[in-house]
Amino acid sequence: MRRNALKGVVAVGAAFVLLAGPVMGQVDTTSTYEEEEIDFSLYDNLSFADESAKRYCSPKIEGLSPAKLISVGYDFQGGYDLNAGDILGADGSSIIAGGGDAQVNATHGLRAGFNVPVVSKTSLVWQMGANFWNTRYAYDETPTENANPLHRTLSEHGLRTAGVNTTVFKPLDSQQFILFQGSADLSGTYGGSFMPLQYLKYSAALLYGKRPTERKQWAVGLARTYRVGEINYIPVVLYNATDAVNKWGTEILFPARAHVRRTINPRNMVFFGYELEGQSYRLWQNLDGDAADLSAEDLEVRRGEARVRFVYECSLKSFVWLSVQAGYRVNYRFDVDRLVDGEEIYRAFGLLRDDPYAQVNGMGNPFYLNVSVNLVSP
Amino acid sequence: MIRTMSLWATMAVLALGTLSFDVQPQTDPGDKLLGVWEPSNGRARVKIDRIGNKYYGRIVWLIEPNDPETGEAKTDKNNPDPALQNVPLKGYRMLKDFVYQEEDGTWTEGTIYDPLNGSTYSCVIKMTDENTLDIRGYIGVQALGRTDVWKRLVIPGRR
Repeated sequence: MRRNALKGVVAVGAAFVLLAGPVMGQVDTTSTYEEEEIDFSLYDNLSFADESAKRYCSPKIEGLSPAKLISVGYDFQGGYDLNAGDILGADGSSIIAGGGDAQVNATHGLRAGFNVPVVSKTSLVWQMGANFWNTRYAYDETPTENANPLHRTLSEHGLRTAGVNTTVFKPLDSQQFILFQGSADLSGTYGGSFMPLQYLKYSAALLYGKRPTERKQWAVGLARTYRVGEINYIPVVLYNATDAVNKWGTEILFPARAHVRRTINPRNMVFFGYELEGQSYRLWQNLDGDAADLSAEDLEVRRGEARVRFVYECSLKSFVWLSVQAGYRVNYRFDVDRLVDGEEIYRAFGLLRDDPYAQVNGMGNPFYLNVSVNLVSP
Repeated sequence: MIRTMSLWATMAVLALGTLSFDVQPQTDPGDKLLGVWEPSNGRARVKIDRIGNKYYGRIVWLIEPNDPETGEAKTDKNNPDPALQNVPLKGYRMLKDFVYQEEDGTWTEGTIYDPLNGSTYSCVIKMTDENTLDIRGYIGVQALGRTDVWKRLVIPGRR
């Protein structure tokens, strides 16, 4: 499986290089013509021919890392202990499966996504995208029929996410803008056939911001997110900035991610920072044999983690970029909730509700590596 | 005195004559593209000319003409070809080789160069009205691209 996935990454990377090839290269096709001498001062004082024309701010700032249109990569986490707790019954006290510890040697899988502009005008930018992440758990010893069902289902089925997303950037004038991001993800232990769409998880963020200069933009807003595993409504802050000489910058969408950028040149960049990752995964597929009927238990793994990392991104050939992330995956939560028919429990970090989890788990924090090949946007 | 004024008047007429964005005899249907245009970010102005049967666009104005690092006039320092990194940005041909297609009224087969990252993209130009261009830079296929809207510029008071 792993070898096949790697072959896929190489094949798609090669396709990118071939695709980008024909449009690369600034060839001087006018060298046979004598350049006209220009008095540039003639162009200092001009105005729009159409007096009603307006200027709108761009969604990007100078120096920002390029947006990825297509991305294919592989994510690999090193070994760690996974301590599975008892799984409690719906009454909150009975134990339907005992806990147990196990060593996971690696967690790995393919990550692919694409994002294409649907509308790309000065007054509106609308993008649609889709993504697929597969995560396999390689146990040191394959869990037996007596092992905790969480170990068994992770070993047998792994976790996966497939989703669609959209981004709308609406400039109001030359400085102000509104940004909307929304996504619908199906996450769980499903295989070739998807789970029912009632288990879709919806995330969204709406921000209002300003772009006071070509090198700075900020925005504030509200997000509905599963980034720490379970549903939350949180304030978000966007802050992208680049210094005057385009050496240093920040790319921040707090609290989801924050990076400091060091630009070696526009085709080589290094970042340091973190990203929060997470989703709620339905334990959909049942286990072989007479183990617990997981699907009927309405269980979901609330995975939330921080990835503290260095990122190196560079242009391999014109618009084909390599991205390498290396750092630590720091576990925040890997607990299991009981969500009857997918109905959410909104705890608000314990402020609104304090429902106990159906299973409380712990895990170590391993080194991780992510390598991807990307086709970047103009 | 009158002779001096006549000389200045002649020079002024000659100077205005070089402003091809204003009044220019158009001999080809594609010549409606000729003129000076401003990209949506307002950071530059581009003068489009015809050479032979192809259209080219040169940067003629920059909102920030000097490099903040050196204080000197900006050059194409992000060009991947080191030999071109000292070429001044003012006067740089960022649009190249566009050919007018009468059947659909677009200018195609050309490229657009982005000095901010030193990349050259395939490009198609569509005129949505006489003062507005949709400039779509793309990679391989038009679906993988981005459209920027450029507006025509003129001398204030002259339409």
